[in-house]
Amino acid sequence: MTEKERKPRAKDVQRGIWNQEAIAEVKYKADMGKHRIRGCGSTKKYPTFDDLLILPSQLSRLSIDTYREDCKTQTVLGARYAKKPLVVETPILISGMSYGALSKEAKTALAKSTQTVGTSINNGEGGLLPGESENSYKQVVQITPSRMGFSLRNIEAADALELVTGIGAKPGLAGHLMGNKITKEIAEFRQLPEGIDLHSHPRHGDIFGADDMVLKVEELRDVTDYEIPIFVKIAAGRVREDVKIAVKTGVDGIVIDGAEAGTGAAPVVASTHLGIPILPGLVQGARALEEMGVKEEVSLIVSGGIKDGADVAKALALGADAVAIGTGAMVAMGCVVCLRCHEGKCAYGIGTQDSELRKRLDTDAAAQRVANYIQGMTYEAVILAKAAGKTALANMEREDLRSLTLEACAMTGTPLAGTNFAFTEPFGFF
Amino acid sequence: MVRLDINEMSTRDVNQKLRELILQDDEIVVENPHSVHNFATALKGKGTITVEGSTGFYTGGFLQGPTAIIKGNTGWYTGDNMGDGELIVGMNTGSNCAPSMGGGTILVKGHSGSRAGWGMKGGNLIICGNAGLWSGKMTMGGRIIILGTVGRGIGESMYRGIIHVLDPEVEDKLGGNVMVVPIEDKEKREVETLFKKYGIEQAVDGFRSIVPKVYGRHEYFLFKPTHQQTGAQS
Repeated sequence: MTEKERKPRAKDVQRGIWNQEAIAEVKYKADMGKHRIRGCGSTKKYPTFDDLLILPSQLSRLSIDTYREDCKTQTVLGARYAKKPLVVETPILISGMSYGALSKEAKTALAKSTQTVGTSINNGEGGLLPGESENSYKQVVQITPSRMGFSLRNIEAADALELVTGIGAKPGLAGHLMGNKITKEIAEFRQLPEGIDLHSHPRHGDIFGADDMVLKVEELRDVTDYEIPIFVKIAAGRVREDVKIAVKTGVDGIVIDGAEAGTGAAPVVASTHLGIPILPGLVQGARALEEMGVKEEVSLIVSGGIKDGADVAKALALGADAVAIGTGAMVAMGCVVCLRCHEGKCAYGIGTQDSELRKRLDTDAAAQRVANYIQGMTYEAVILAKAAGKTALANMEREDLRSLTLEACAMTGTPLAGTNFAFTEPFGFF
Repeated sequence: MVRLDINEMSTRDVNQKLRELILQDDEIVVENPHSVHNFATALKGKGTITVEGSTGFYTGGFLQGPTAIIKGNTGWYTGDNMGDGELIVGMNTGSNCAPSMGGGTILVKGHSGSRAGWGMKGGNLIICGNAGLWSGKMTMGGRIIILGTVGRGIGESMYRGIIHVLDPEVEDKLGGNVMVVPIEDKEKREVETLFKKYGIEQAVDGFRSIVPKVYGRHEYFLFKPTHQQTGAQS
């Protein structure tokens, strides 16, 4: 062996902690003296629904004919107190993404897609774009701490309200919209100065605590005359406690946003280190509702990293009533998850306000692609549900699952594949 | 005029009854309010509701046209998300008065707690007495007028809007990203008009205005090292 062969080249040595990303982050902070902002949310490797498997029907139960027998996908959300619950034709909703983070064309395309597949879109922070509400099948309106573009008119246009406490990509932090996206049009829409970097409120100015939220929900009931459902959206963290408080505030449903969730801009440290993934978040949420005896009356919607129909079927089996997608819908329109939404220069005309770049997105074609994606996901979920012997997606149950990894077994309480044993059962899964 | 005794009524019944009555009569007098929460939520139309006493949290939330006169005090979040109309509080309000208010006028004849006008987007908020800390935090529009003293952090990170103050020590209590400027003649006339309308006897010459320093981005701090009291970043 030559001297050269005995001494490995520095670039060939595994770096462990000091990998390229860690070095780049140190250098960024050394240069800038501050944290990094980035789009798309966390890139951390989380346990996923792929770590769970669905048990097929064999002799112990009969499967449903994949191509000749029906499987109900229609989903009713928020029927606890609302006179008109949110009824959608698939349990896949489009989550809150703002006009500002996304272009007008992207928002309109998403709205149009909901008409095709019969689901709902959520306006996100920053007002309700007319092109969205005019084209949506069902419109969810967010009530965010900043209340930008929010008024009684928005509530009157809503099929459901979503009171936002936090989002998975930056829980505990406020909305970020960088100045390069605050164009004249967005500035007018949000009542902001053009070009300013927006760091909005992390807390509601009219809700300083859970006791106040009880009154706020009552106020919103009065405003809506108990017609439409009110959901509260929380980022997955202390899920058990938060869900129990949310139930006591009198909402119709709870949206749990996992740490995998996307965003237009967030401090990387927040996306990467705040909150827990949706897998344990969902299980904790469902168990908390069961503990309170309200699982059947309070709807549970989960979001964060949902990518295909298998995720949907498994989420429903773990106790969700519906899922919401964001990044997946953007990918269907052309997004390549380049992590640069915050720069406002999206080459696909989705996460930008640049008038030239926006022209690159064909609204009708994008709407069709998102509709196709949601339909394809629903097909996938239905195939799995039928194989598990279900004639309705909502009939998926925890017993239909097994864990492929010890991690998933521990986090979800789902027995390890090949056993009926979840080794963390004595812990109560919390 | 119609009188409504709400002593035995639930909040929901009170608001439903008010909605019915306001279509029938221009003047409603409410008795025995006992600091009821969520009073006069999202009331539309015209007319005047006079409350013989105090109301609780979220008084006049989403108010959309009528005039509500509360002779006593109101609780926290008075006039939240109000869109139009008038809300006149004869005594004091709790904290977070007029959060996210979009239009109309709120007149507080007494004092208001902290964070008055939080995230306000439009309309007028007049506080005849003192206001607590962080008044006008992150406003996006509208006008706040404070005749008494103000608490620290006034106008913190305002995006748009204006605060008129008389407090001579306001510079020592200013929040970040705002500055004190002389009141303009046009603004004086507008304030005078409001004062005349609501019978407020106060000369406008002594007022100064707090406005946002608008440029590329706000200055902010994530922490303040105690050894040098800096840490501000931009």
